Amino acid sequence: MLKFAFRNLLSRPMRSLLSLLGLTVAIIGMVGLFSVARGLDKMISETFNAIPGLIAMQPGAPVPLFSRLPTAWGDEIADVSGVSTVNSEVWQRVNIIDDKLVVSPPRFLFGTDITSRRTLKRAVYRDNIIPGRGRFLSEADRGTLNVVVSRQIAEEFNKGVGNILQVNGNDMPIVGIYHTGFLLLDVAIICDLERLREIARFDADSVCAFYIEADDGVDNNTLADRIRTVFRGRDVQPRQTSLLPGLGLGGSGHPIIQLLRQLDGWLKSLSPPKPDAETPQNSLSPTGESSGEEPYLPTNLDAAATQQELPTELEAGTSSAPTQQRASAESVDKPSPIEIRSAADWAERFEDFAGDLDILLGVLTGIGVTVAVLSIVNTMLMSVTERIIEFGILKANGWSKTDVMKLITFESAIIGFAGGVLGSLLGRFVAEAINWYFPTRASLYASPGLLLFGVGFSTALGILGGLYPAVWAMRMMPMDAIRRG
Amino acid sequence: MIHIRKVTKIHRRSQTEVHALRGVTCDIPKGAFTFVVGPSGSGKSTLLHLIGALDEPTGGEITIDGRRLAELTVKQRDEYRRDQVGFVFQSFNLLKNLNALDNVLVPYMPAGITEEKRNQAVEMLKEVGLGDRLKHRPSQLSGGEQQRVAIGRALLKRPMLVLADEPTGELDSGTGAEIYAYLRRLHQEHGTTVIVVTHDQQYISDGDLVLKLRDGRFENPAAESKNKN
Repeated sequence: MLKFAFRNLLSRPMRSLLSLLGLTVAIIGMVGLFSVARGLDKMISETFNAIPGLIAMQPGAPVPLFSRLPTAWGDEIADVSGVSTVNSEVWQRVNIIDDKLVVSPPRFLFGTDITSRRTLKRAVYRDNIIPGRGRFLSEADRGTLNVVVSRQIAEEFNKGVGNILQVNGNDMPIVGIYHTGFLLLDVAIICDLERLREIARFDADSVCAFYIEADDGVDNNTLADRIRTVFRGRDVQPRQTSLLPGLGLGGSGHPIIQLLRQLDGWLKSLSPPKPDAETPQNSLSPTGESSGEEPYLPTNLDAAATQQELPTELEAGTSSAPTQQRASAESVDKPSPIEIRSAADWAERFEDFAGDLDILLGVLTGIGVTVAVLSIVNTMLMSVTERIIEFGILKANGWSKTDVMKLITFESAIIGFAGGVLGSLLGRFVAEAINWYFPTRASLYASPGLLLFGVGFSTALGILGGLYPAVWAMRMMPMDAIRRG
Repeated sequence: MIHIRKVTKIHRRSQTEVHALRGVTCDIPKGAFTFVVGPSGSGKSTLLHLIGALDEPTGGEITIDGRRLAELTVKQRDEYRRDQVGFVFQSFNLLKNLNALDNVLVPYMPAGITEEKRNQAVEMLKEVGLGDRLKHRPSQLSGGEQQRVAIGRALLKRPMLVLADEPTGELDSGTGAEIYAYLRRLHQEHGTTVIVVTHDQQYISDGDLVLKLRDGRFENPAAESKNKN
């Protein structure tokens, strides 16, 4: 019967082809759209697998760029049992390279403490220096503006080892070129932390984050708990959401910054008060003294615009011993002043994001799929209408209603299956083509599972599309069918 | 034996009712070669379709070998059409996507075609003179050849009843005679009951049962049916 169904489709080649193409395009769209989400998942998973350690950041900061922590906390973390290495990090958004405005893909200056970075057992940038293309930063690079850049950045600006890369107005000699292969990592221009602080006018007592490597045999989760315990109860103002740092507008006197500062303040006034804001007596002034009035709430605007002011928590961290901070029972209820994230935590956060993205992609796919299904219904309905006599003949020859229904469903299922196979393969091709064409901007991944789903989904759509015409044909008496024809 | 009792059939087309059969009653003995004759619109084809369970009567009762068609389940009706009745239509009603051999095998497609059945179909087509046309599609066959394929399809199942609706209506007289020859041979060799609806009475022979219909009724209501001669 399958052969018969196939022949029936071939007997109307143009109509079958158009229906097939309709479904193919819908499946290409579906595979393409979902490969965005799958690509994101894969990229996140692979990226964070390459970073096996923990990252300590300011609570609420989405990425280290927006985080500020007291530099002194690095020593406290290093003293925690099970910590092997603590590496301080400072990040800054790059606005201009070689007089060219950098918007997309974004680039970041990554200041790292060279000494501790070199002692890490696994360091993704250090371990991925391209052989023959320079070296990673060494002790000799301390206090210099020497940088290591990704292959993509080097190619984008046509630079090599020994060339000068002008970043945000600073001449930075390239000493090495790395390639991790991860879109999220190959964005960094790595330099000495102290020099970055200077050129970025970054507060000397602050870092963005600490990268923490555990001793062999120590579980990351256990270590994270130990670190949290050390800092539990410290008086801290959690980070408040602000869009300003990401805009990369330097200078607090900039009129846009001033306008945005007002807007930022207004938005914050709309959000529910934080525990600390309700207890101003616990807050410290920038000098570490309790003001008793409106608390000093360091914002990212402050940090981004001036890069000078010391956030309250920094003062708290540097002026109070951990044991004192842990003393009171009520301190247990206070929000943690530090957030320790492992690769799994990052992946989990991005999974939430990817889940939301899936909904959006599902809606977009749904539109395409609806059009495709209507196309199949139309094709099959026309085909069935034209073949009413044929179904009458089949019934006259003993075909049951189910047999007739099966035949029509087979035909639509063949269209669905073929559309699924074609759509999935072409979708994969399109995803690969986009990755190839935009290597630094796109990371689409049409997984085998997604392709199989595409084929199965398309076949199901085909069957669904043929069902109504099949039921319609099935219900007719043989002579009714022959007469109608 | 086929018993037809007070069978009526009304075709409804939107608001219009067409009384195709107005309470016909007759008996057709097993193994009879029967002609149903009459002018166009007299209800000949309708009667044939009702006997073949291709349609359902509005009223009355048809009994085939003691089984009342109205009481058959849908599945039993399908089996009845597939295994016991062979249809030959005026317009051949072959499936244009299938070749001659596959057209003959159509009734067996849903269950799967065995090699034995395929061989029987080849033999059947050879029997009706189409041994060299097995792979030809209907569009590649003449009208007479197409009707012979249709006969092959009807006869492959060795039916107890063959229903032919104007089987020579679209054929020239020579080809029409050939078709009747095949039907006669089937009737004689297997004792099959054959019912032919026709306008053309030249093929009626002695011993045939002839039923004359006019306006949905038999013309000879007293006898309901009679033998010619």
